[in-house]
Amino acid sequence: MSVDLELVQRVQAGDKKAFDVLIMKYQQRIVHVITGFVHDPVEALDVAQEAFIKAYRAIPNFRGDSAFYTWLYRIAVNTSKNHLTARARRPPAMDVDAMDATNYYDAPELKEFETPETKLVSDELQRVIHQAIESLPEDTATAIKLRELDGMSYEEIADVMGCPIGTVRSRIFRAREAIDIQVQATMNEGEQQ
Amino acid sequence: MTVNYNEILSALIDGELQGQELEQALHLLHTNENARQQWQRYQLASDVLHGHELAQQSYDLTEKISFSINDEPSYSVTKNNVISLPQQFWKKSINFAIAASVGALAVVGVMSQSENNLIADNVQLAVSENVEPLARAQTTGKRWTVGEKEVEQRLNTYLVDHNEYTGASGVFSYARVVSYDMGQ
Repeated sequence: MSVDLELVQRVQAGDKKAFDVLIMKYQQRIVHVITGFVHDPVEALDVAQEAFIKAYRAIPNFRGDSAFYTWLYRIAVNTSKNHLTARARRPPAMDVDAMDATNYYDAPELKEFETPETKLVSDELQRVIHQAIESLPEDTATAIKLRELDGMSYEEIADVMGCPIGTVRSRIFRAREAIDIQVQATMNEGEQQ
Repeated sequence: MTVNYNEILSALIDGELQGQELEQALHLLHTNENARQQWQRYQLASDVLHGHELAQQSYDLTEKISFSINDEPSYSVTKNNVISLPQQFWKKSINFAIAASVGALAVVGVMSQSENNLIADNVQLAVSENVEPLARAQTTGKRWTVGEKEVEQRLNTYLVDHNEYTGASGVFSYARVVSYDMGQ
């Protein structure tokens, strides 16, 4: 069973804290999806919050027919569209009404919407992370690439690399530690500027 | 915090934790702010590697949302309500198999009924005037009444047994309606 499903089941059984972990895990992606509809960053965070609360209320009905993130993504998109519809009824504060939002939904340019600042941060992080991976010992770099870029499970990586699963786990961890040092440095630089 | 804890958090990102270690990781995330930040940075790097763009540089909605859902009810849905994908597959397969079996039985049933009709059309029963019936059956209204109580009781017992047997053995329900009422 996936960790997501395990967490969902915990929420369904009354463990509200398990929902915190799902928020921590998916908030970045969900806020990005919502920013595609609601361009104002502060407003997007409010809509994200609303989407997570809706997800919590609907979670007893989640039956695992799709992955949890897919389900959450749909809630986020619907919440964004409802938000835009509600905005369109009032004096327009933005140039996107509900109809546009529906059209935008299928448009990749809306999904990929980003400000120059966020684009810059994403690009810089991408560069730093790839650089960190390239400077790793070969077996460590291979393990993290197989995991993150090829999406393999620990078991599959162990098969490919001919080593125990425990070794795969520690190699991936070491790679993450090395990447994290660079990520922290980049984030600190960003905050100082 | 020891290195091992970070390794557990790393494995949590990959969904590779179970049992005791999963409990440990969740406990850490709920009780240790450093662990929480560490895990979020691991998650951020993982998201970037997967090509997910960042919306904004740093924020954490967890606290705000947790506060908002504090007033919401806690759920008590049992684990069995969430159906995993393999279970769904088997459930659908079983439903399909049952539907196919019912269909096949229906076809066989219609075919055998047609055969019975053919036999009934072509067969002539031998008749003998001297044969004494074991029990005389008469019709009153739409129901047969059997002259001898003992025979009627035995017939009823057969029918009850038959109905019970069909119910218990998985024979399909169309065979359960059995009586000796006229016209049936």
